[in-house]
Amino acid sequence: MKIAFYGLVLLTALAGNPQAVAPREAEQTRILALESAWNQAVMQKDSKAVAPLLDEELIYIDDDGVVMNKARYLANLRDPEPRLLHIVNESTQVRFFAGSAVVIGVYREQGVRNGKAYLLRDRFVDTWVDRHGSWICVASQSTLITH
Amino acid sequence: MRRMVHVLMLTCALAASIAAEDDNGSAAQSKVLALESAWNIAEEKSDVRALDLIFDNSMIYIDEDGTLLSKAQFLARIRNTRTQMQSLVTQTIAVRIYGGATAVVVGSYRARGMEHNKAYLREGRFMDTWVLREGAWICVVAQSTPLTR
Repeated sequence: MKIAFYGLVLLTALAGNPQAVAPREAEQTRILALESAWNQAVMQKDSKAVAPLLDEELIYIDDDGVVMNKARYLANLRDPEPRLLHIVNESTQVRFFAGSAVVIGVYREQGVRNGKAYLLRDRFVDTWVDRHGSWICVASQSTLITH
Repeated sequence: MRRMVHVLMLTCALAASIAAEDDNGSAAQSKVLALESAWNIAEEKSDVRALDLIFDNSMIYIDEDGTLLSKAQFLARIRNTRTQMQSLVTQTIAVRIYGGATAVVVGSYRARGMEHNKAYLREGRFMDTWVLREGAWICVVAQSTPLTR
């Protein structure tokens, strides 16, 4: 019953103001696609593909607490170690604010480092800003999930 | 586990505030830094009412161990914490403003205290995202990462 009620409310909202809902959904799809492209490029250690997604003044905090600028992050990405086998984002949510969006999720990475297989899960937050109609990531932070 | 106050930070905020009254970007930076300081003072005093005003109702907090907390969960933890923090120093802090309505604060902290009768020393980095809503800055996301390297 409750589900039916909420469904009705949602349909009413969509029908009543489709223009207000559709752009937000489209923007969410765009940002999640950028997140996915970022992961694919990381998998391939393709820093040239990652570079356009990131602001020149990017602030990146890695899961060991190291702070990197864009140049250092891209150099780090090109390091042949570790060998990455699988990367996926889970439980992602996108929140929109005036001219910006925040993506919160879990980043799962499998790979081989120094001949040893590993699996890590990080909680991440990426902050994107709308710059002349394009989304660009200005800040990113990861925290290893240890609990 | 969040870093708390500090005279140094407050001094920086006040100095920046004085120096930049006619500069919107700098004025926004000063306001956000002052709110960061207010947050730290409120957290130090376990002043949940003050914290309630600083955080957006949908605020998300990611702790040092990767735990994701809602505003209610974070405030409940402040209220119920049994950790004794002896000192907590914000070592570095910087604010960047994007488009006039989004601010990202990045910094580092060092905390000393007692937990379960054991002394601890923690160092980490934090990043807080603030948005300007109806003329007031409000924190929408905060995250801490322990420094392990």
